[in-house]
Amino acid sequence: MSHLESFDIKPALNKYGGKTIEETPYKDLLDPKRVNANIVGGNPAHIDRSRLMPLQTGYKKYGQCGLEVGDWFKNIGECADDLAIVRSLWTLDNDHGAQLTFQTGRHVREGAHPTLGSWITYGLGSMNENLPEFVVLGNPTGDCCGGTWTYGASYLGPQYGGVRLTTDPAKPLPYIKPADKFVHPDEQAAEFSLLGRLNRLSGIDYPDDKDLRARIKSYELAFQMQTAIPETLQMEKETEATRKLYGMDNNATRSFGEQCLAARRLVERGVRFVQIFHGGGGGGAWDAHSEIKSNHTSLAEQVDKPIAGLLKDLKQRGMLKDTLVVFGTEFGRTPAAQDTGRDHHPQGFCAWMAGGGVKGGIQHGATDELGFYAVENRHYVTDIHATALHLMGLDSHRLEVPGRRRLAIDHGQPIKEIIA
Amino acid sequence: MRPIKTLILTGLFTALIAPIAGATPTNRVLLMKHYDRFLVHALANCATCHLPQKPDVTQTSLANFPHNPYGRRLMSVGTELSKKGKNSDLSTRIQITSLEDSDGDRVPNEVEILLGHSPGDPKDTPSPEELKLASRRKAEFTQFLKGYRWQPFEPIQRPSVPQVSSAQQKRVRNPIDSFIFAEMNTRGIPPQPEASSATLLRRLTFDLIGLAPTPDEIRAFLADKSPNAYEKVVDRLLASPKYGERWGRHWMDVWRYSDWAGWADGGQIRDSKPHIWRWRDWIIESLNKDKGYDKMVLEMLAGDEIAPNDPSTLRATGFLARNYKLLSREQWMEDVVAHTGRAFMGITMHCAKCHDHMYEPLSQKEYYRFRAIFETHNVRNDRIPGETNPDKDGLVRAYDAEPTAVTYLFTRGDERRPDKEQPMSPGVPTAFGGTYTLASVKLPRAAYLPDRRDFVIQETLTAAKKAKDEAHAALETATAEKKPFAQANFYAAELRLSVLNSQIYVEGLEDSNRKASPEWDAQAKQLVVLQRRLAKAEAVLKVETAKQGLLEAKAGGDKAVARYGKNPMAGAQKLLEEAQKALSEAEKVLQNPINTAYTPRSTLAFPAESTGRRTALAQWLTAPQHPLTARVAVNHIWARHFGTGIVPTTSDFGRNGRKPSHPLLLDWLATELQRNHWQMKPIHRLILMSDTYRRASTTSPESQKRDPDNLALSRYPSRRIEAELVRDNVLWVSGALDETMGGADIDQNLGLTSRRRSLYLRTAAEKQTEFLQVFDAPSVTECYERRQSVMPQQALALANSSLSIQQARMLARNLSQQTGADNVKFIQEAFLRVLARPVKPNEIKTCTDFLAEQTLLLKKLNVGTKLTGNTDLKDTTRPAEEPDLRARENLIHVLFNHNDFLTIR
Repeated sequence: MSHLESFDIKPALNKYGGKTIEETPYKDLLDPKRVNANIVGGNPAHIDRSRLMPLQTGYKKYGQCGLEVGDWFKNIGECADDLAIVRSLWTLDNDHGAQLTFQTGRHVREGAHPTLGSWITYGLGSMNENLPEFVVLGNPTGDCCGGTWTYGASYLGPQYGGVRLTTDPAKPLPYIKPADKFVHPDEQAAEFSLLGRLNRLSGIDYPDDKDLRARIKSYELAFQMQTAIPETLQMEKETEATRKLYGMDNNATRSFGEQCLAARRLVERGVRFVQIFHGGGGGGAWDAHSEIKSNHTSLAEQVDKPIAGLLKDLKQRGMLKDTLVVFGTEFGRTPAAQDTGRDHHPQGFCAWMAGGGVKGGIQHGATDELGFYAVENRHYVTDIHATALHLMGLDSHRLEVPGRRRLAIDHGQPIKEIIA
Repeated sequence: MRPIKTLILTGLFTALIAPIAGATPTNRVLLMKHYDRFLVHALANCATCHLPQKPDVTQTSLANFPHNPYGRRLMSVGTELSKKGKNSDLSTRIQITSLEDSDGDRVPNEVEILLGHSPGDPKDTPSPEELKLASRRKAEFTQFLKGYRWQPFEPIQRPSVPQVSSAQQKRVRNPIDSFIFAEMNTRGIPPQPEASSATLLRRLTFDLIGLAPTPDEIRAFLADKSPNAYEKVVDRLLASPKYGERWGRHWMDVWRYSDWAGWADGGQIRDSKPHIWRWRDWIIESLNKDKGYDKMVLEMLAGDEIAPNDPSTLRATGFLARNYKLLSREQWMEDVVAHTGRAFMGITMHCAKCHDHMYEPLSQKEYYRFRAIFETHNVRNDRIPGETNPDKDGLVRAYDAEPTAVTYLFTRGDERRPDKEQPMSPGVPTAFGGTYTLASVKLPRAAYLPDRRDFVIQETLTAAKKAKDEAHAALETATAEKKPFAQANFYAAELRLSVLNSQIYVEGLEDSNRKASPEWDAQAKQLVVLQRRLAKAEAVLKVETAKQGLLEAKAGGDKAVARYGKNPMAGAQKLLEEAQKALSEAEKVLQNPINTAYTPRSTLAFPAESTGRRTALAQWLTAPQHPLTARVAVNHIWARHFGTGIVPTTSDFGRNGRKPSHPLLLDWLATELQRNHWQMKPIHRLILMSDTYRRASTTSPESQKRDPDNLALSRYPSRRIEAELVRDNVLWVSGALDETMGGADIDQNLGLTSRRRSLYLRTAAEKQTEFLQVFDAPSVTECYERRQSVMPQQALALANSSLSIQQARMLARNLSQQTGADNVKFIQEAFLRVLARPVKPNEIKTCTDFLAEQTLLLKKLNVGTKLTGNTDLKDTTRPAEEPDLRARENLIHVLFNHNDFLTIR
């Protein structure tokens, strides 16, 4: 997503639009050493991205904090006083593997590592008996860019990985209901009951078998999940007003609105971590190398209302204070044009958080005048992780797994300035 | 402004580089060896013996980097000892000076070291609180010095078998048990009794072939009272070809088997390669033949050098081909180095990519020398008999593509900063001893000119003959309108065959070194004439084709537009003109003076020589004195029998890995492997025949109290079966398993419908079978140890998948036919078949009650007769109409979900 036209508005681009960077006072930005610093494998295309593109949408100030937000995100703009924007992120990868980097802190070449969601479920455990702890909604990134790794648990073990659900109550996850319609619910209930009895009978010989106990419990949870998950996904139980708040009355916003609403319903029922993907598959729908205006206009429309709806809904229910919402993207887009689009831009981009323990209406860190480099209070993406973990009461340094050495860069540091 | 993150990393690396910059890093290693885990990290440093000054790699003399008082004393003691002709190794000197106080801070040297303070720096001295710990720490260290010093980086010494009490001796079946008893005695834990016969048979059968024993096998074993009944089973299972499939999957984990991964249905292969399944089949076959582990390592690393003409051996190099990475040769190299180190040596070589290793005696230079071994290699896909297009099916194998490729050390591991001043020659880490002897390999012609192989020639000829015959047949039946085209087509086919024959003949002359002969000269000239005539014939064919095109264009229609453009006549006319022009060119060439510059049949050519780097590596790895190879191998075997390795971190035998639970046993087993010519079946047999392996998995109060994690192995560690075995056994016990071995990988999405064993399903990054993934299928990037989780998704998969539901129905019907109406008989047989153990009386009662209640329930629900639902189900996979039979289906289905179905006891 373009940071320049969303939450890190750069009026200078309108001023210099059409000029090359060399023609502006900022010509040293394209120093190859600087452009390539941090980027694994270098970043050669940047040198050719020199002609600045004016902002492709308008913007205005919102809320008491006076946050400038692009017109593509008007609805989120209305929540400005709840947002803590971090405008000085940078990442390692100039390609879409950055999606994986955003979740694990590691470059895609280094393979799978535990994701933020898995660390949180590993560290905190479950709050409910009927649902998984870590749920994934939407269409995750394609194979090229991390795929299942973007919500996996890697060496923490699969029980801490995200359980992918669709918002379709008929098939929200694999094997959620019997493969054919012949199986009657009462018939199955009797089977589960017999299974429990038989497992306990053979357990008499193995009173210390933790796995056996866990298995008996997992069958009980599974049995509950068969009904609890479809129940959770029954959006029709929500009032018309709520559904409207999430944009479920509109074709453009229905699908993502459903996911945001499902997220609230899951969190309400004790699910620890919900990860929602938008525009997944392949490089991702937001990859606007051309026609960024029409691309971002239509994609932002799909998510703007639902996300704002989620924030407002959580707030009106008094849930926002206990729920942390993180909005992020793999990287930003170049200030300069790539034909009618903007290219990948890992040197500076933004994300925001809202709710659960962060300050509202705060802007932290900054990119330079053109939005090229993160220059003030720079943060690598794992600082977002560290902040989230900190707000959840965890310290990643205390979650060490024997035999797995993590680097300082994996842990990151909480961004104290945005913590309330 | 806050410092950027790279600075933090940079700082870290500088700190790492400092310690080795000193004069004699060997002394540091010896110091580390002497104190082992008692040496804190800060003291594994030059400053322990030298004055703390800025280390500088160029300052190697003592004058520039002087000793501190402790270092001075160690040196003077050394000089004295040498004068007297006594042993003056560092360990001796450290011991002699242990009670002295070199730096004059009133704390003895050894106490200071044990408490983590410098013995050569008077300002660095333990606090009174710390000194209180001194006596305990010293006692621990003394105990440690007395104990067996397991030195994984030193050549293996065969330990003597410990003596155990006469009571225990009764349960000792082979030396393994003595080692295990010795460790149990130190913890004061008694062994569990031997497991029941049925448990043992099930354990053994799962362990060796990955499938449950059949009811007949169970009955036969329970009835066999001969003293060697157990042994007979061990031998039967080790001889089963299914052993190769079961243990093949284990080694596929360790050697990182991966089918191809990529984007857009194989349009772009990103990781590994298609047809790599041949390597999987090689693994299975090699295990079944009990090929030595050393031979397997050699073939995997250098099959192309030791057997360049043997396609069967070449398959083994899939171990290397598997690391292919389209997007990054750097990552590819990094993976090869990292995983060759981890799989065969249990060392974390990859840590030395950016700096000298923090824990092990591995320098960054050695990392790049090790990398240089692989720098020259690449992967190719050779043609195989019966398939002219290797993309459809081929032999994926490694070869030295660039024998002169240079390796540079990357400054701080950054590929953008190669140190071009110092090219790295191939080599192995010196810390493990042995010699790396390089000898380049002259390859046979067929290996570097693969199209000169007989079968390629024969198949090419056959194809050309067939084309000619087909062209002839087409000519016979051609209409008058098509006749000129068919004639040209036949003539060209005929000439192609002639050219091919001539090329092959000329190649033959060259292969027998007769290139200078008059015969060659004549034949080459004749070939040139033939090729020119063929060129003309091809041109004529093009003209005729274009003429046919004109007719098509004239006829018009979509096809004509698609082929010749918006104005078909003009397009076709243009093609004709081009063809005619080409024809006149070809005719002109025909007039040129005749020479010998013919066009060869194939230009496919690879280097005629291989560097031998990988052969040398394999030979070094499997030389008898290599400290790690045999240890790591037996540890893998042990880990797969008992769930945990003797060294639990099977791919890290270094200081950062976990310590062995039974170091003596590991070393003894390693020598045993070497004594058995590295054959693995004798090692399996030894383990399986031991008393240790046969113990019950039940717990005793003592073991729960003193060894809850069962480190001493007083009982057999029960655990869940692996993902593949869950799926395989649902199919197996219901009689549906297709036992076909080997062959191409099966689409990963067919997991619920294919009846082949799971190891044949495609497995690659992002290409895994969902059912298997739910049960913790191995990661394709690395799986040195298997971990089994318990989670609700697994319950859902077994409860709700079509696989378990349908197989339960089929099995219930088959068993019912066999057992008749008697529910007890049915239950007995069902337990025997599915859980591979006899049913217990209280289970019979529970199950009989269930069958009665469930029949009533089903009658009440009246579901049995409604067979209108899914019409895609075959009759055999629908539920039975009779409620009592359907209740039996439900019971079988419950048994598929039973903890005992999933657990090896």
